[in-house]
Amino acid sequence: MTQPKRLSQEDERTLVRRLKARDEGALAELYDALAPWVLGLASRILQDDAEAEEVLSDVFVQVWGRIHQHEPARGPLVPWVLSIARNRALDSLRRRRRWWRKAERWGATVRLEDDGTVPTPDPAEAAVPGWPVHQEVHAALAALPVDQRRVVLLAYFEGLTHSEIARRTGQPLGTVKTRLRIAHGKLTEALRHVKDWLR
Amino acid sequence: MTDWLGMTPNPRDPRPELRARVLGRAVRPSRRGRWVWRAAAAALVLGIAGGGAYWARGTIAALSADRDRLAAELAAVRDTLGFVRGPATRVAWVPVTTNGRLGGVTIFADSANRRWLVRCEGMAPNEPGETYQIWFVTEGGMKRAALMTMDPGESTVMAMAFAVPEDVGPVVGAAMSIEPRAGSSVEPRGPMVFHLRL
Repeated sequence: MTQPKRLSQEDERTLVRRLKARDEGALAELYDALAPWVLGLASRILQDDAEAEEVLSDVFVQVWGRIHQHEPARGPLVPWVLSIARNRALDSLRRRRRWWRKAERWGATVRLEDDGTVPTPDPAEAAVPGWPVHQEVHAALAALPVDQRRVVLLAYFEGLTHSEIARRTGQPLGTVKTRLRIAHGKLTEALRHVKDWLR
Repeated sequence: MTDWLGMTPNPRDPRPELRARVLGRAVRPSRRGRWVWRAAAAALVLGIAGGGAYWARGTIAALSADRDRLAAELAAVRDTLGFVRGPATRVAWVPVTTNGRLGGVTIFADSANRRWLVRCEGMAPNEPGETYQIWFVTEGGMKRAALMTMDPGESTVMAMAFAVPEDVGPVVGAAMSIEPRAGSSVEPRGPMVFHLRL
């Protein structure tokens, strides 16, 4: 198993500078490091391989085209890329006319995670760049009470509004908001130290 | 730090052939972008051409109107000069006093073409409901020629051209009277301003 290596913030800044200088090699490096995570996230949201690959492609087009909009002062590169991926995937999800039919198909999966169950990390993927962050995020999520974890997953991976979450879970709107606020605070605290991209 | 939640799902290795496709698509200028630029350029050219055509059309229309106006003015001037220079044209000038004001009336009478040009200047404006009426003086009496109303505030110079109808017969003189605004249809009834033989 390849031991993940740490990419310092300085290395990341260099990568961003190279991307802004239109260095195609830098984009290839970013793809190699991030594509599995982008595809994993898109697949998790869309539950459709073809659409997830489309999102993967769109994300790198957008990263290349809008890298000048990334401000290092506002956060590291990786969450920025992942937020693009999430937004793209959720857009695709909302556009999809056959959303409800799909929902039936992936109901089993969702229902599992609706219960707040976090998918177990696959040990075979441990050599993938970023694996330690993946584990830390899992640990932070796992540390949340089930009810809080459940609303976080519904908000993040399905893009549901507070009201939609309240309807889905059968909880009062105020309860949902409170759980999300508390969960957000705990996650922020738990992941505060995660600043470097690991590979 | 919910931004990191994107790393919650297990990573999935993309199919190897995707790499070249994704990177190739990312770095090449988008086809859509090129079309947008082309469409924008075409729209710009069309806009400029359309604007130019619109401007040219407006300019041509304005110049045509100017040309027509100048042509009409030139024709009027030529007509007046032809009138004045005509060998059968007689000119008479008569001083008139209206409402204590001294003015004059000039009459160009073209007996060959049976046309008159009358020019009044320095005459007092008509009272409300009144007008100056010009008469042809013939052997058979006075025949109505034209009404020349001078309202207050208007120029004190007024000119009018009119034809001498065939049924009027030979004209031997001219006269002007002050009549009601609609004019007198048969003979002068109001005060005479002047009466002269040509």
